[in-house]
Amino acid sequence: MKNNYISMQNISKSFGKVVANKNINLTVHQGEIHALLGENGAGKSTLMSMLSGVYTPDGGSIFVKDKEVRFAAPKDAINAGIGMIYQHFKLIDVLTAKENIILGQKNGLFLNQRALTERIREMSARFGLDIDPDKKVYDMSVGEKQTLEILKVLHRGAEILILDEPTAVLTPQETEKLFKIMNRMKEEGCAVIFITHKMNEVMEVADRITVLRKGETVETVHKNSTNPKHLTELMMGCAVDLSIKRIETEKSKVAMEVKDLIAYNDEGVKVLKELSFSIYAGEILGVAGIAGGGQKELCEAIAGLQPVKQGEIIFEEENLVGKSPSEIIAKGVSMSFIPEDRLGMGLVASMDIVNNIVLKLYQRQKGFFINRKPAEQKSLEIVKRLDIQTPGINHPVRMLSGGNIQKVLLGRELDSKPQVLITAYPVRGLDINSCHTIYDILNEEKQKGVAVLYIGEDLDVLLELCDRIMVMCAGEITGIVDARNTTKEEIGLMMVGAVNSDIKEELS
Amino acid sequence: MIMPMTIRAIKKSEPSRLKAATIRIGAIILALITSSIFILLLDLNPANVYMKMVQGAFGTAYRARETIIKAIPLVITSLGIAIAFRMQFWNIGGEGQIAMGAFAASFVALNMSDMSKPILLLLMILAAMLVGGLWALIPAFFKAQWGTNETIVTLMMNYIGLKWIMYLQYGPWRDPNSLGFPKIANFTENAILPKLMGVHIGWIFALLLVAAVYIFLNHTKKGYEIAVIGESINTARYAGINIKRTILIAILLSGGLCGLVGMIQASGVNSTLSVEVTGGVGYTAIITAWLASLSAPVILVVSILFAALLEGGSYIQTVFGIPESAALILQGIILFFVLGSEFFVQYKFILVKNQNSVKKEVV
Amino acid sequence: MKKTISLLLVLVLVFAVMLTGCGAKATPAAAPTETPKAEAIKVGFIYVGSANDGGYSQAHDEGRKYLQEQLGDKVETIIRESVPESSEVEKVINDMIDQGAKVIFSTSFGFMDFTEKAAKAHPDVKFYHCSGFKSGENFNNYFGAMEQARYLAGIVAGLKTETNKLGYVAAFEIPEVVRGINAFTLGAQSVNKEITVQVNWTHTWYDPAKEKEAAKALLDAGCDVLAQHQDTTATQQAAEEKGVWAIGYDLDTRDSAPKAYLTAPLWHWGKYYAAEVQNIIDGNWKQVNYYGDLKDGLIELAPLTANAPEGAQAAVDKAKASIIDGSLNVFAGPIKDQTGAVKVAEGSAMTFEEMMSVNWFVQGVEGKIK
Repeated sequence: MKNNYISMQNISKSFGKVVANKNINLTVHQGEIHALLGENGAGKSTLMSMLSGVYTPDGGSIFVKDKEVRFAAPKDAINAGIGMIYQHFKLIDVLTAKENIILGQKNGLFLNQRALTERIREMSARFGLDIDPDKKVYDMSVGEKQTLEILKVLHRGAEILILDEPTAVLTPQETEKLFKIMNRMKEEGCAVIFITHKMNEVMEVADRITVLRKGETVETVHKNSTNPKHLTELMMGCAVDLSIKRIETEKSKVAMEVKDLIAYNDEGVKVLKELSFSIYAGEILGVAGIAGGGQKELCEAIAGLQPVKQGEIIFEEENLVGKSPSEIIAKGVSMSFIPEDRLGMGLVASMDIVNNIVLKLYQRQKGFFINRKPAEQKSLEIVKRLDIQTPGINHPVRMLSGGNIQKVLLGRELDSKPQVLITAYPVRGLDINSCHTIYDILNEEKQKGVAVLYIGEDLDVLLELCDRIMVMCAGEITGIVDARNTTKEEIGLMMVGAVNSDIKEELS
Repeated sequence: MIMPMTIRAIKKSEPSRLKAATIRIGAIILALITSSIFILLLDLNPANVYMKMVQGAFGTAYRARETIIKAIPLVITSLGIAIAFRMQFWNIGGEGQIAMGAFAASFVALNMSDMSKPILLLLMILAAMLVGGLWALIPAFFKAQWGTNETIVTLMMNYIGLKWIMYLQYGPWRDPNSLGFPKIANFTENAILPKLMGVHIGWIFALLLVAAVYIFLNHTKKGYEIAVIGESINTARYAGINIKRTILIAILLSGGLCGLVGMIQASGVNSTLSVEVTGGVGYTAIITAWLASLSAPVILVVSILFAALLEGGSYIQTVFGIPESAALILQGIILFFVLGSEFFVQYKFILVKNQNSVKKEVV
Repeated sequence: MKKTISLLLVLVLVFAVMLTGCGAKATPAAAPTETPKAEAIKVGFIYVGSANDGGYSQAHDEGRKYLQEQLGDKVETIIRESVPESSEVEKVINDMIDQGAKVIFSTSFGFMDFTEKAAKAHPDVKFYHCSGFKSGENFNNYFGAMEQARYLAGIVAGLKTETNKLGYVAAFEIPEVVRGINAFTLGAQSVNKEITVQVNWTHTWYDPAKEKEAAKALLDAGCDVLAQHQDTTATQQAAEEKGVWAIGYDLDTRDSAPKAYLTAPLWHWGKYYAAEVQNIIDGNWKQVNYYGDLKDGLIELAPLTANAPEGAQAAVDKAKASIIDGSLNVFAGPIKDQTGAVKVAEGSAMTFEEMMSVNWFVQGVEGKIK
């Protein structure tokens, strides 16, 4: 019989009137990788937050190694051998790997540096973690940072590891590496809980899968007895068509041309290195790249938010460089940027939908006063058209769910009838249905002849949705490929800097 | 048996209106009870003292007028501070802006006293608002240009402003007729705000400004932009709002209103300039503005109630012959509970027994 | 919006609670302090410092207590302490009148203009202002020849000093203070020609911390006897800490600095207050400005302590007798100013007006009148 490492029984948790978890049961064995699968808002993160001591359950019991536990704080969970790796790393940039590992732990006054280094090396070897103990965090790649996080919790004695959507920030190659580490940990007798909503990853690495839907356990299945279609149905509660359509349009005129664009960030680091590309009316140009590769700066440069050192952005025979954001908006270039924290740019969290719609309307109004009537009208239209779930147009947007927030943002941008639509991470954190609504909207715009610049995270989506994919790495374009005849691997290579020679030719 | 326990403060999701009201009323009752203990220690009857406080603030027409005179600077300064706070610009510099506004108004009053009254008063108002605004603009400019912390800079500039008045009072502006006593000459009659219904017309300014600031913040483009900047500077940038310009306008207005208070206090109340002109209003107004959740109409109410607390506290000193410090303690207790209750509206406490046992929610 | 509404609700409730408190307590028996004594005249006192500041304001408050004691039921006194020298004074006076005060004693120099304004607005109320120079139809000013006691204190200090350097912690550059410094210096010089007096201004009447700093600076400059024109005992404490000597002011504060304290020039306001209020009750009020002196007993030098030098008591007694019998005038010529110019010629003395507006230091004072 397998060891019941962790058992969560009848766990319930509510936030005010919102029930996040309702009678959830989860059992994780020693030496298994257990995937927790579910739509956004299905209750995965809440459940894991209770397991890691961040929240206390309203009802139900948690057993670790058959002993009932109650965690009052994350510290208690760590002491019980449970370690959580968050999507956002909790590392201190200016410290070394070693220093980050010992940080916040109870130590004597003096450190035995050598013994510590020794222990780190020993653990790294055991779990196949590749870490230089003396490397500073700011010198590390995203993958290395994640490895360090894992090492950190292992060093604290974790035998049960929770990974919250760990692959969202990784390249395909780094993802492979992470999976290897996970498998190694499994062999060493740890239990790994892996939160995700990506079906292919589940199928690749998990042993058993627990599917959650709307705060409840749907089923726990063995990998061998399921398939992606089945899992999706469990997740959604119904059969879904997962394919994304790509609407074929005639390649027409150039909508916008970027020439030799160079920009520096506040610290004086060159973030855009001589970018040159064109985007055509009626196409979706995808942009792939590791986070921090210059995608954000590119968007901002086009929108007039990022100072450009050199180069041109030609739109309707005019150079946009040097124009103010409001002038660029007036010309019909629209950007909807969904940052990691979703609300940071584009929307005002505490304001209602109307006031957020006003943001792009009021400047066109004459006079001193603001007229909210047209915005109210528009809000009703947008809510209806995009099927935004909200108690009303006077509801603060921060109270809406992620998908609805993004629809508000996208709806407003589309409402200004742009000729170029820049959309960055528009499906970030959305459930499958919402994703498809947004893909459909983008396709609609494309059909109307709008040039869409789509900055995305999920390579599968980019490959299915876009006409062409531009890959960026460290502020450079490493290739622009036709989405119809490229592979994930090819893009993955370009994401880490391998320049695609074919494309270079096309560029020159 | 005693179990080891920890108390944890947990942020509430969304406090219900009823709950919030219950907590606030509870706080007031607690404040009154706590104060009662203190009053009993002074060998007085608490109910009597509370009654006298209310009487002291509103008991006669004279006292009601005095309460209003105290409320006027609070209202206008709170409005000024609210504009800056809406933008999340922490203007702690009300004191200095009031002082500099009073300085500018006094400069006009003392040097152009031969003008006709309406023109002179108008000039004083304009000068006060301009100088108060510019005084606030300095930290805003520093922040925009070099990212300095406006909280510290505005606070420090209070001292500069007040010391400047002190310098004038002890030095160049000292009234030669005061036989060496450091005081600035009184304004002439035409530099003094006229009265209406027994109170200088600052109360009309205050009422008009409450309406004006309400409309400005809620129904104008600039007011909207200020709110957007306050919530998310990135969103403001993204929407193409001219951030620097909006910040400067808002701060100019914020400081200008505080400056106007300086003029009103110097002209309507003191008839001269002195270091006492601010009377700590620049700081008190921060409390009232917060308590009013930065909403203009609520500021009016809160300021009047706050002024009543001050007046009532002052009244009981003479009536019961208690020392000033005791009256201040009473005011402090009441304020402490009112402000403290805001925390309980936002947070709840959970008692967590460190061992495996049940938890109990309090509040 | 939710928040604001509930806040409003609460505030309304506060007052509702308070007002119901009123209603319940409106029975007359519950408020003994309020039952007005039929004949009692209400007298308001306004102090710049706290009523137990151990100095100037306390001296006035002692006077008030004396008044209350003497006149008993016939008078009811109310006080306001720590009133800033600003328009607040006028408000406090108006508050007191609103509460039924018929006599106002306004006890600090900086209260003068506001008191004058209030006096004009309330012709039916009698006003008294201490230490100033203004008066009016219903408005007396009163003060005393503190310079006489200062002169005597100077004698004690002059005999005590070993460094020949005296220090003087002073409040404002107004005639009252300048006069005191001059008298003190002249008194000290009458027993020791070498004496210099160093002056340090604080620009406050009541600020223990600031006064102590000022006193320390004087001690660091080598002064070994400190005098003060301040309303707290901070100067004396600074001297005590340094192990040297100090002369107080206003009140006999021998206990607050037992090792340093020599003596102090004192005020005794009680008799004046009692007499004036009695006059008002009797309907004999007159517009008379009052300037009391040693002879009246308004001014006194506190009994010397054991810290005082040998022979000081005799010297003080002698000078005091001469002042009282008129043979010694503190400001009799020749008096030279700091530049050495003769300000008061031999054979003459300063007039009252000159004393009241003096703005120069006598020779031997080190300090500036800004």
